[in-house]
Order: sequence, then structure tokens, then C-alpha cells
Amino acid sequence: MGNLLTKVRLQPLAVVGGSDVPKLDSPPPKQLKDAAGYTYVSANIAVSGTADISIAPRSENQLLRMTFSSVPIVWQSEINQEYQELGEALEEMTQLDEGDEWKVDVVVYQVACQVAAELLANSFPAPRIFNHGPKSVVFNWSRGNDNLYLTISSDYISALVSSPERIKRRIEFSTKDLLEPALVFRGLLSEQPVVSTSKATSQVSGFVE
Amino acid sequence: MFCGRIQDGDYLYRHTVFPLSFHKETFDKETFDPSRLFHLVDDAVSGAILGSLAWERFVPTPEYIHAYGCRLASKINDKKRAGGELKRKHRHIYCGAYGLKARSVRALVSAEGLGEVASADVTHLVEDGEIAHAELRIGLVTGTVDVEGTKTAILDRLLNASCGPLTHICDDDDDLDEHPSTSLSIGRGGEYVDTRSYLSLLWCIVRFHICSWLWRHGYLRQE
Repeated sequence: MGNLLTKVRLQPLAVVGGSDVPKLDSPPPKQLKDAAGYTYVSANIAVSGTADISIAPRSENQLLRMTFSSVPIVWQSEINQEYQELGEALEEMTQLDEGDEWKVDVVVYQVACQVAAELLANSFPAPRIFNHGPKSVVFNWSRGNDNLYLTISSDYISALVSSPERIKRRIEFSTKDLLEPALVFRGLLSEQPVVSTSKATSQVSGFVE
Repeated sequence: MFCGRIQDGDYLYRHTVFPLSFHKETFDKETFDPSRLFHLVDDAVSGAILGSLAWERFVPTPEYIHAYGCRLASKINDKKRAGGELKRKHRHIYCGAYGLKARSVRALVSAEGLGEVASADVTHLVEDGEIAHAELRIGLVTGTVDVEGTKTAILDRLLNASCGPLTHICDDDDDLDEHPSTSLSIGRGGEYVDTRSYLSLLWCIVRFHICSWLWRHGYLRQE
């Protein structure tokens, strides 16, 4: 059994109020380094409200913590270690033989590393990963009986929240929107349809309620 | 048809093989990951999403279900062995199976949040000499762009319909100190319960032998 003192777990506290939610400082940029020495730096994006989204602006950090408020937030060093292993696992998947069902394309790997860097920057627990073949990587978290998936391909990223009974929510957006990843998390919280910034303003971006 | 059409209430089984359905927990510890139970692939010709299952009509009892699984792992190992890349400690190991009803597959068409699914069915399709093999085939609405995201949504629904596990240790793997089947988790759809009466089970076995005989002697065709 491991030393219990090395696994301090904090239970996140989210206070959901009106539009006057206190603003949190943006997290410092985080780096995800893969085994080949490539470094992926989080974009450190400040989230601002847009006319298309009818919810109060909140910082990305808050959004993440609120969306997954019952997911245990683990100690930073443990998170860093988990993401180190995640980066290595992703890189290993690019190096497999063609035809291996765990093989992923390099371009998918690169997008996945960028997403992982954003998650790390927000001290988010490392996901489990799987794939559907070379064209995608899926990040997966569980919360009780509910599941959250981020499906990452070269062109699209989609988020899905499900319960055993039904698919609760789906959002998809172009990887061109990768510089605004908070959009997807904001959409998961919102009861309103979310409009992707890369699409026509009148078009709902694959949101399913 | 007596041996061809998969009925809505029929069970289909998905076999778990180590390490394909597992993820690395620590350096020397791998645990079962339900998300890796199904493997959905693209049909390059039709654009449909495909998967593989085993139909209960031809695996009517746990013994037959597990025999299928043991052959599955054995075939993977034989293939690797032929390629000169198999060490015994790195062999594939059959661990057990999860079941889901055919109606769960067909219900994908009207599932909430899966509007891009135009068709979903499972049909009997003998493959690689396995008479119990059934093909999962899901057609998408023309113009669906995020096919990979759709696969995830389909996978999620299939996982939530799956019950089990039915665990097993193949004869070839009884030398293992710790068999990976011990890490299989209860299916999201609950535990597998065989509600068939003795007579019903007996009928399933008789029907299986009749269907197998008909297949072997060429009296039946694929749908």
C-alpha cells in the first residue's frame, strides 16, 4: 500500500451564484512534454462572454471545476506525473505498427497533446484514453454513473456527457476553435444551445439536449 | 428465419481479451477499461460503422461463449507467433464476455442525442470460420462530419446496455498467478443473469445443434 500522506485529495468547492461569480486568476501556462522532447504549452486563455452565448462569463478554471465538481482534484505533483504518463502513452500510440488498432495518426496526437496541455493548465485530473482507430483519441472521465468523453480528431473535437439512461449533452467544434477550449466546457454547463465561433452565428453547433 | 434473423430479445456477446481491453494503471499493472470493450471501425466502402459480436443462437451456453473467446485469443496469438513477435508472457488472454440484447443495438436509431444514426442493426455473418459471428452495422445520415464523435456516442450507448461479466480462464492460461479476468468490472447494464428455464435452455441447445448442422452442410445462406 502506498504512503497515504503522499495522496492528499482536495474536494473542490464551487459556489454557483448569479452573474457576479468572483473572477479567478488565470492559471500560469503549463507545459506537456512528450517522450520525444516536444513541448506543448497551454494557451492560457481568458474567457469572455460573447453575444452568442447567453450565460454569465466565467473563468475557464471555474468552468472546469464546476463541470466536474465531484471529480476529485488531486495534488499538483500527482497531476503532473499523470500527464507525463499520458503524454508518453499518446506518443507510444503514434509509434505502433500500421494496422495496430491502437495506432493513431501524428496529427491527432498533436491535437490531443494541445488539449492535454490545456487540461493540465487547469489542474484537471488526467483522463483515461482510448481510440477508435488512427483518426481519433478519446479522453474519458467517469463521475459516478455519468461519463464525459472528449473525442479528438484532426478536424473536430466533440464533448459528450452521458448517464446510463441517455446522452445528456453533445457539443462538437472545429479544431480551429482549439484556442478557445472554454467554449466546450461552457456549453456543457449551459442549458442554452452553444454556437461555435467558427460557424455561422445562426447555426447551432451540434448541441444535443 | 429459424437460424438467420437475430431477434430483438436475443443476446449478443462481446469478448474481452487482455491487453486489448485494458489500460496501464502503473508500470506493471494493467486494469480493465470498459471503454475499450467495443472496437468500432469504418467500412471504407459504405461509410458505415462496424463492430463484431457473437450471437447467442450459436453460443447458447457459457461454455460455448467462452470457447469462442478462447479461440479468439488463440488466433491472435497464432498470428503473432507466425510473425515471430510473440513471447508467452506477452500473449493475449481471453478474460470473459459481456452481453447485450439486439434491441439495444437497433434502438440506436431513435436514441436521444444520436440523430445522425440512420440505421443500426446486427446480422449473422460468419467470419474467420466462426459460425457465431455477428456483424454490428451502423449507417449514418449523409453529411455527418464528425464520425469519430459519433462512434464515441454509439460506444457509450452500447456500454450502458452491456451486462456481465461472464469471466473465464482458458486451459492455456491456467498457469497465470494472477489472471487479468479478476479486474473485469460489472457491466454498466448490470450483472448478466440467465433467466432461461431448464426447458428453454434445452431448446436453445437443440436449436444450436440443428442450426450448426444446417450451416455445415450448406443448407443455409448468409442474410
